[in-house]
Amino acid sequence: MAQPRSLIAPLSRFGASVVTGPKSDLPRFTSLSYQTIRCATNKSDTKKKKKGRSTFICHDLKRADQFSLVDAMHYIRAFEVGRNPSSSKYEMHVHLKTIKNGPVVRNRMRLPHPVKTDIRICVICPADSKAAIEARAAGATLVGEDEIFNQVKEGIVEFDRCICYIESLQKLNKAGLGRILGPKGLMPSTKTGTVVTQVGPAVRNMTGGSEYREKVGVIRMAIGQLGFTPEEMQNNIKAFMDTLKKDIGQLSDRVSKDIHEVVLSSTNGPGFTLSGEFRGPNSVSPKELSGPL
Amino acid sequence: MVHIVSRMRKLRELLWVRVGPGAIILPKEVSKITMEFCKKLEGGHRGPRHFWHEMLPRVKYRNPSIPIHISRHSDPAGPSLLHIYTTPSSTTPTPTSTSPLSSTPPSATPNARTTLTPDTSAPTHTIPCLAFSESQILEQLIETTGAVVVQPTPQETEELAEIEDFKRRSEKDRVEVREKLMKVRREQELLKMARGEVASV
Repeated sequence: MAQPRSLIAPLSRFGASVVTGPKSDLPRFTSLSYQTIRCATNKSDTKKKKKGRSTFICHDLKRADQFSLVDAMHYIRAFEVGRNPSSSKYEMHVHLKTIKNGPVVRNRMRLPHPVKTDIRICVICPADSKAAIEARAAGATLVGEDEIFNQVKEGIVEFDRCICYIESLQKLNKAGLGRILGPKGLMPSTKTGTVVTQVGPAVRNMTGGSEYREKVGVIRMAIGQLGFTPEEMQNNIKAFMDTLKKDIGQLSDRVSKDIHEVVLSSTNGPGFTLSGEFRGPNSVSPKELSGPL
Repeated sequence: MVHIVSRMRKLRELLWVRVGPGAIILPKEVSKITMEFCKKLEGGHRGPRHFWHEMLPRVKYRNPSIPIHISRHSDPAGPSLLHIYTTPSSTTPTPTSTSPLSSTPPSATPNARTTLTPDTSAPTHTIPCLAFSESQILEQLIETTGAVVVQPTPQETEELAEIEDFKRRSEKDRVEVREKLMKVRREQELLKMARGEVASV
């Protein structure tokens, strides 16, 4: 009720109006004084609100339903019924206890059972060097220097990842490909770990490797194909959590990050908070979940 | 990340996968179920699609080891069928035994249908689904296979009623809040008009 009155009040200064016309003079004056008081209180309100929290909210998980891995997979397989098993995937969401403006966890790892292996990798190194032979042996699709630069400049980008051998970095920077590759996230740089001294292992890590990074306190990653058996999923999740813990440990001592919640989801399914167990007391046998979907 | 409350609410409603129409336990002879129908609805393909979305998750939940496969074509005049494959119970070469239980993981490269072994044998039963509703299709499925319908326990029916009640109340609240919101908006609109900013009308 107070809002319309305070809005009508300034109209009274400009004289007659359709809405304010039939009103008497007395309430207008009262409303004017009321308005000034309201403004004062409003200002103090906004000052109080400005103090936000510096951490992400972490809800108590005591009341949350938690599932064992087999149970969650049982449900997810029911939700993904009839879908193409190669297009739907299991996803992992890890909720961290962390401050908002700290450093983020970010790394690349190789799962024991890779999710996607058909990415095309481009390696920038002299075409007749030892590194080029290594790269080809490890499964890179494009190897070279100037030919690749020319191709990219023409707009032909036929690869999903790009690695640069450390001795070719100068040439790459001179070629000025940052404009084209940068927006695609393909430009090699030491920060992202795509400028390497040993090409072979780097390429091997990338085929079947997956990247993860923290965004607003949550790390998301594809963790498995829908056709995986519970044992394979267990291996993958274990490997992922181990590398994640190692990564968190490597951050400087001042920042503290903890794993708060681990959620297993899928392309079409809901998210299941994992309890950390493999099988619950009432779960079906893992054998039943290992057949084709 | 999806808020924890909405996630938990969704999980509480997981009950719908456990009980309800479609919660049937198929006999052991059934080795595989496949469906084929059109991607578009017109031409009577509504029933099969609803059957897939509503009933098949329940069937799959109760029979996790039976592979269920769906192929959708883009021809509205095409077939709309549900095939049931069976194996004689004496031999029992069910897909679970032939599936890769050895140490090698399934090929990680997402080839088309890597997880399904090609099956050239003819289906034992075929149910036409064209222009049938999902409940009719389910009835036929139960009839042809002789499946056992799972009855919900009293606790589950209670929970279901609770969820139903919660949904009804939330719907009522939603209407009330919407009315209030519309009232406030209408007043603001009127005030705007009174101030001479008629451009919005």
